[in-house]
Amino acid sequence: MRTFIAFLLALYLVFFAAAAFESFGEPQGLGRIAEHYAAEGFEEVGAINLVTAVVVTYRGLDTLGEVSVLFTAASAVILLLSVFPLGKPANKPSSIVLLTMKVLPGPILLFGGYIIAHGHLTPGGGFPGGAVVASAALLVLLGCTQEVGFAKWLTFAESMAGFSFAMLGFWGLLKLGQFLNNSVLFLGIPGQLLSAGIIPLISAAIGVKVASELSGILVAYRCGGGKE
Amino acid sequence: MNPDFLLGIASVAGVSMIIAAVRAIFVRDLLSAIILVGFVSLTASVLFFLMDAPDVAITEASIGAGISTVIFLWGRSKVREE
Amino acid sequence: MSLSLVLLLSSMGLLLTGLVGIMAKKHLLRIALAFTLASTGVNILLVWTGYLAGRKAPIIDASIEEIATVAVVDPVPQALVLTSIVIGVAVSALLVVVAVLTSRELGTADVRRMRNLKW
Repeated sequence: MRTFIAFLLALYLVFFAAAAFESFGEPQGLGRIAEHYAAEGFEEVGAINLVTAVVVTYRGLDTLGEVSVLFTAASAVILLLSVFPLGKPANKPSSIVLLTMKVLPGPILLFGGYIIAHGHLTPGGGFPGGAVVASAALLVLLGCTQEVGFAKWLTFAESMAGFSFAMLGFWGLLKLGQFLNNSVLFLGIPGQLLSAGIIPLISAAIGVKVASELSGILVAYRCGGGKE
Repeated sequence: MNPDFLLGIASVAGVSMIIAAVRAIFVRDLLSAIILVGFVSLTASVLFFLMDAPDVAITEASIGAGISTVIFLWGRSKVREE
Repeated sequence: MSLSLVLLLSSMGLLLTGLVGIMAKKHLLRIALAFTLASTGVNILLVWTGYLAGRKAPIIDASIEEIATVAVVDPVPQALVLTSIVIGVAVSALLVVVAVLTSRELGTADVRRMRNLKW
């Protein structure tokens, strides 16, 4: 009965969403902003992957805000788990997990680094690459029984990445009068690894930040909030 | 690619995604619900790829099926019930 | 049935299922799971608003023969959803931690038995 009432309420809400989409109609072409990005983005920014160009430079200020939302959520998790520790981590992992954690993290880290470094050329960039690197850290954490060595570097890496993201933005503000202007570095030939201005640098900063925050959450889970 | 082929893949992925989501809500065992939500994320990444969004598909596959599942499994092992 | 309609219907169905789960379930972790489902549905819906049938992914390489404005799909919703997924997993991690700590404090994860939370 309660499920049925909830179903009717949810149907009502989704119906409103569907009605809103009906008034928009099915999209026929790009919007004005997207049209500008598609037409000029290749020359303005020098990036082949338009999604990374939008995330990193055109809407880079929004990304800075979103990264700080991510930071707030991650630090709330770590704070809660260090104020209310949950006790010792789990029991010994099985031999399958032990073997996997010796073999797989290296290739996964390499793949994550590839995704971050080629963010302006192929699908990828800071956010997917950071998530892949964090899943390598997850594999290491699943297999270990005592405290891991890289845990104490996570806060340092995280704050350095956020700092360098903001500083790269201010570089554009000082040099060309525009926050996160991409032309402070040479644009290069589109398609090469070292091209597209500061996009690879900011991708690396976002990747390090996302990876260290997600693995910070997982370390806090594994160790119940660090020292007890 | 052939549009009918893409339509077939999208239909299979969408229908199995909805079935898995409904099962995840109503199944009794919490462990099965968590695994089914991971499966929903995986099919959602297939749908993202069909919508020409490869970046989003990579992110959804690695986060939804990997990290999110582990977070919920941790919560299941730590939650206290009487 | 076109591809676009199938995608729209599956995202709406996922959103509907997630909302029903948020409203009807009683266990805190199940509410968090339903929240994850609903946010996945919203993400698919957002990407769908930028999807244009018959076009290519927004990557300007040699396979795009015409001018880019008529050849690629909209990159802006994809960029939005890319960040939204990563934030969603951090938020659901926070939800799970709050659920676990609440259940340890009160001895139960059932919202019907949390009487002392009323005020």
